[in-house]
Amino acid sequence: MGTPDEMGVLLVGLGLVMYAVSAGADFGGGVWTALASGPRADEQREALFQAIGPVWETNHVWLVYIIVALFTCFPRGFEALSIALIFPLVFSLVGVNFRGAAFVFRHFGRHKGARIPGVEAVFSISSVLTPFFMGMAVSSIAGGRIRVAPSGPALSGQAMPYWGAADWITPFTIVGGLIGLSVCAYLTPIYMAARTAGGLRDDFRRRAIAGALALGFLTAIEVVVARFDAPLFFWRFVRPLPLALAALAAFCGCLTLVLLLRRAYGAARWVADFAVAFTIAGFAAALYPYMIIGQLSLAQAAAGRQAILAVLTTLPIGAALLAPSLFLLYRTFAMNLISGGPGDN
Amino acid sequence: MENLLFARTLMGISLGFHIVYVAFGIGFPLLLLVSELLALKTGNEQYHRLARSWTRPMTMLFAIGAVSGTILSFELGLLWPRFMGFSGQMIGLPFWLEGFAFFTEAIFIGLYIYGGNRLSRRALLLCTVPITIASAASAIFVISANGWMNSPGGFTPAGLGAADVRPWRALANKAWAHEAIHGALATYVAASFAIAGVYALRLLRKGRGGMSPDRPGPTNFNLSRPGLSLSLAVGGLLVPLMLVTGDYSATWVARQQPAKLAAMEIVPRTTRGAPMVIGGWLDETTGQIRYGLQVPKLLSLLAFHDPDARVLGLDAFPPALRPDANKVHPLFDLMVFSFFVMLAPSVWFWIARWRKKDVFASRPLLASIVIASPFGLVAQEAGWMVTEFGRQPWIAYQVMNVSNGVTPRSVEWVLVLFVLVYAALTAGLLKLLLAPEAKAGAPDEEEKY
Ligand code: HDD
Ligand code: HEM
Ligand code: HEM
Repeated sequence: MGTPDEMGVLLVGLGLVMYAVSAGADFGGGVWTALASGPRADEQREALFQAIGPVWETNHVWLVYIIVALFTCFPRGFEALSIALIFPLVFSLVGVNFRGAAFVFRHFGRHKGARIPGVEAVFSISSVLTPFFMGMAVSSIAGGRIRVAPSGPALSGQAMPYWGAADWITPFTIVGGLIGLSVCAYLTPIYMAARTAGGLRDDFRRRAIAGALALGFLTAIEVVVARFDAPLFFWRFVRPLPLALAALAAFCGCLTLVLLLRRAYGAARWVADFAVAFTIAGFAAALYPYMIIGQLSLAQAAAGRQAILAVLTTLPIGAALLAPSLFLLYRTFAMNLISGGPGDN
Repeated sequence: MENLLFARTLMGISLGFHIVYVAFGIGFPLLLLVSELLALKTGNEQYHRLARSWTRPMTMLFAIGAVSGTILSFELGLLWPRFMGFSGQMIGLPFWLEGFAFFTEAIFIGLYIYGGNRLSRRALLLCTVPITIASAASAIFVISANGWMNSPGGFTPAGLGAADVRPWRALANKAWAHEAIHGALATYVAASFAIAGVYALRLLRKGRGGMSPDRPGPTNFNLSRPGLSLSLAVGGLLVPLMLVTGDYSATWVARQQPAKLAAMEIVPRTTRGAPMVIGGWLDETTGQIRYGLQVPKLLSLLAFHDPDARVLGLDAFPPALRPDANKVHPLFDLMVFSFFVMLAPSVWFWIARWRKKDVFASRPLLASIVIASPFGLVAQEAGWMVTEFGRQPWIAYQVMNVSNGVTPRSVEWVLVLFVLVYAALTAGLLKLLLAPEAKAGAPDEEEKY
């Protein structure tokens, strides 16, 4: 801790965790809208929509935070990733975009009394595809396949051949994409169980348990896949710190299951967030000190010291401004956030 | 080279799309503030209802503004990775600060919109203050990044990169002040005129005796009058400032980016006492201006406050470093023309009101407002194109060429994809904004009144 690029890692990591636990839960809303079933399917959809409506935009800010923190603190890394991952990034972006739009259209379409046909499908499809492609993009930086194009203008002007265009599609990244998806599918029903009641709550509880099992299963599989498909990552992963973090993640995952079985939803919520945070931390610890494994180190990617310091010094000022505002927001709507959000007054 | 063209086209389309929504994201908050303040000060409930009636379009436009902004922040990397690898550490800070501003805005918009029944009037008014400040701050910060591209500073060039980065110096670059002032005011002008146009149109339709097809119910007609007065008060007050701040921008451009000025005003050859050219175009082969109206010495006077000042012409720059005058000049004229188109009806409206005429019944007046209403957005798009085309071929003025900033990946498919995305978004949004609302279903807040 101490060098600017290490602080930069913390900043980006904070963004990743916050985006995963907040927006991840929103994406999960789309996943479970698609999978809504049983006698209360419509209620499930309605509750999901009501819960996400007022908060998705605030949660979405974390995505932009990640991008900006990346190009400010690690400009060369941002450059390399933007070139290497153009496909999954464009696909996720289209998803982000349609999902946001679908929200708006569904909200205002509903007020008109008629649902706009197709909007719900767009919402669900983009909620599934986006975390999947994001998961692929994130895991491909550890997959060991993507190459960093030489820096500088030498290559520019003429287009790169499509070689390497599929670098990011490997068994490791496909499981990575599924992990991204299951993080979302795991978080949402836990949040929802905490804020609903009765039969609906039981529905979400069952879905939460399914989500927890899926996430645990997939992360375990990923380690095995890494052994064959991403050996560089695997051997960096089986070191004490990454393993310890992974163990914490697994512990939190199991604890959520126990809490869910005992219907302690409030606690389950927190523990679930920590499970996701430790998963990301374990991944990052294995990757460290690389930004793109075997290709680009964080130090090579990092900005000048002053640039990172400027970001760090403004962070507490910004936070001091935001914290009371957020507090006000939550206090004003506290009652309703529990019972389903203020979306409909 | 083709790839560069695709990348530039996509960047231009995305920014052109974003700026429309963002204009409302900045403009509506100011109108909200004024409106709620009036309601509280005068006790006239109509102003409060007016403000609340904007929550629906505002949330929609705000959300599209946010997603299109997200696309942009990715595009910086996807289209211009070489540029960002170099400049991210300099222009990152303004985007970072913008994040705080945007977040603050989002929080208080949430409070204002959903707190309609939960917060006191005074609290609602207080919510509009941080919304207004934060949205303007967003614009001012982002524009600093663009200012840096026009006047890069705060670093020492070192090989392909930058050393000794001073981010605060980069933030407070030389182009920031004039671009931020002129550019932020432009968003207010653009939004208020567009909104005024909607109300003027409603009054016109009502005058014809028919019901407005989009807003059934008597209450909405009543809102048209305060709506028109308020938006035209804000727009009309600010429009003259566009000339003042635009002139300030021009004097800056004249000193710092002479090639841009030469393209803006078509100055083929370096001249003393340069004329102002209105209309016309540059014949590239002969280097002559065709069909333009020329006002002697005016350009020297306006740009340097001296009728005999020497103005650098395009011939002072090697052909590869000249921006395309035939793009920049017509767009500049369009911006200035739009200014007059908006100025006229606002002056007319306020003089007529001052002379106690019934402005809301005067059809020619209402029609002229309707005609002027898109021109704020038009001027804003045109002005940005002047700035951006006029900077060519530089992505960072005199530091990096656009062709050195662009991605080595092929991006034509991204261009096609995003054009489709934008088309779908626009179509959906227009459908929602124009569709008849409130036939059934949960009542909208505005309809409770
Ligand atoms: C409502 C919109 C609007 C209106 C009525 C005007 N402008 Fe403008 N102008 C803009 C909206 C705008 C803008 C879109 O906001 C720009 C783009 C970049 C910037 O700083 O502001 C701009 C840029 C811009 C620039 C280039 C600045 C640069 O590249 O650094 C100049 C010289 C002017 N303007 C001058 C004028 C003049 C002399 C006007 C006379 C009436 C005028 N503008 C009206
Ligand atoms: C919203 C108003 C804006 C509009 C309408 C706009 C428009 C455009 C257009 C048309 C281009 C293509 C230029 C060409 O092909 O010659 C462009 C390029 C670009 N703009 Fe802007 N722009 C805006 C604001 C900004 C801001 C605030 C930034 C801040 C970073 C920015 C960054 C860029 C970049 C990086 C390019 C690509 C490089 C280049 O072509 O020089 N733009 N913009
Ligand atoms: C390259 C240029 C630009 C980029 C990368 C960009 C990026 C963004 C992003 C990411 C957001 C959403 C914020 C979030 O979700 O956290 C946003 C919103 C916004 N942007 Fe831009 N932007 C650009 C140009 C501009 C320009 C030229 C202006 C104003 C003149 C502007 C003003 C705003 C405002 C006011 C918002 C708040 C949303 C709203 O009110 O609708 N941006 N922008």
